[in-house]
Amino acid sequence: MPPAKSPALRPSHLPPVELYRPADLGELLAHAADGVHLLAGGTDLVVWASQCGEPRRLAWIGSIDQLQTLDITSDRAHIGAAVTLSRIVRSGQFRSLAPAVVDGAAVVGSVQLRNQATLVGNVCTASPGGDTIPALHVHDAALDIVSAAGDRRSVKISDFVHGPGQTGLNTGEVVTGVTLRGLGQREGSAFSRFTQRNALDLAIASVAACLSFESDGRTVARAHLSMGAVGPTVLDADEAARSLVGHPLEPARLRNCADLTAECCRPITDHRASADYRRQLVRTLTMDVVDAAAERAIPGWLAVEAP
Amino acid sequence: MQVTLRVNGKLSEVPPSFIGRRLLDYLRAELGLTGVKEGCGEGDCGACTVLVEGQPMCSCLLLTGVLDGREITTIEGLPETFLAQFSAACAEYGAVQCGYCTPGIAVMAAWLQAGGSEVSAQPITKLLEGNLCRCTGYQQIIEALSALQ
Ligand SMILES: Cc1cc2nc3c(=O)[nH]c(=O)nc-3n(C[C@@H](O)[C@@H](O)[C@H](O)COP(=O)(O)OP(=O)(O)OC[C@H]3O[C@@H](n4cnc5c(N)ncnc54)[C@H](O)[C@@H]3O)c2cc1C
Ligand code: FES
Ligand code: FES
Repeated sequence: MPPAKSPALRPSHLPPVELYRPADLGELLAHAADGVHLLAGGTDLVVWASQCGEPRRLAWIGSIDQLQTLDITSDRAHIGAAVTLSRIVRSGQFRSLAPAVVDGAAVVGSVQLRNQATLVGNVCTASPGGDTIPALHVHDAALDIVSAAGDRRSVKISDFVHGPGQTGLNTGEVVTGVTLRGLGQREGSAFSRFTQRNALDLAIASVAACLSFESDGRTVARAHLSMGAVGPTVLDADEAARSLVGHPLEPARLRNCADLTAECCRPITDHRASADYRRQLVRTLTMDVVDAAAERAIPGWLAVEAP
Repeated sequence: MQVTLRVNGKLSEVPPSFIGRRLLDYLRAELGLTGVKEGCGEGDCGACTVLVEGQPMCSCLLLTGVLDGREITTIEGLPETFLAQFSAACAEYGAVQCGYCTPGIAVMAAWLQAGGSEVSAQPITKLLEGNLCRCTGYQQIIEALSALQ
């Protein structure tokens, strides 16, 4: 019998791509203006290129020093576009400033993935279930963008992501980093997601919360809630957040807030979960993350509340 | 563009045809380091795990051209003494069946033994999330790796 024909290249094999390694931002912008796709950690892009053979021309941002900075001050952080998730997870200083973002970064993929993937790449992929995005919402993050002409603009994350895989980035523009607000006094933040597997799985639903308390340590001063994987983009649950403000965080109020997030989310039914199931998850996750954020704001807050 | 890597301690200049290809392809097809396995080619299984500057990464998602000047370690480059301990532990706990995931696990085990972690007090199960095994059910692997620490 003749030997079986050797199989064609498996579809996941990456056809050779044309790779550029710009030395500075100017060169990178010139490539972007020329329609070359930007390559950060490649954990999305190399998978796409392997599966569909597109894009074929890539400019790597990792060789540009100024995009490598992770700049942390007492009240804000700037995360350069080439900063990996593992650098974020490992930074104790960053964890104190924006714990919800660390919660999100820490569940992306695996150790190997986090060593490669960037935070900015996670945002630019604009997946409704991107695990760092809800936390960036509640930390009032903004994308720092520069155009081919050198013009700079800053875009709030909620305005940046337009739909699944769609961002407000114009051709030729490059994201240089993300700037976010750090926690203030008596303020805490947290993120949690639900997945079918414990790892290497995309969120069925996720919620992030950031809340601060008045000087009495009981009354909620400010609240921000954001939900992932239950709409075409990450959604803010403004009404639910407002319902907490000006009141002590009592169990009945927390339950009511969780009901409001479940009402305002816009989940779909797909092969991973039904819309109804996602709604229930949003309710439960809201209780969890508000609780966790409050605990980070005022350690032992539950004890404070006990009658 | 010139790209030179240090693979398992040896300098190797990457031919232009491999600069825009995956590190996995370069290691296997050009350098013959076939201990590095391709399971999924999509970052899911960890069979292709190598150390880049001492940190585990998926060689199926790295383009060779972005690694200029970097030190790469594959299972072939792990110290003999470590490999002896690793295989003894695998034999004792039954941590290898078909063996396809084993090179990736070995690289992770070497990283763990060298003190690898992301934050303090992470259990091995968390650190091995990126390494799939279709045979053992993991328990034996976790036991073998715990014994090695
Ligand atoms: C096995 C596996 C598991 C995963 N699990 C999760 C998970 O649990 N949760 C999750 O949220 N994600 C998950 N992901 C996806 C996650 O790894 C990516 O979203 C990652 O964060 C993207 O970053 P990157 O640096 O790899 O980006 P790349 O893949 O390099 O780029 C992604 C996109 O962003 C664009 N881009 C990158 N940088 C810039 C810039 N500076 N300016 C403009 N555009 C830019 C690129 O052009 C590209 O379109 C997983 C991926 C894999 C392969
Ligand atoms: S082959 Fe690289 S992770 Fe599966
Ligand atoms: S031993 Fe077969 S995949 Fe792990």
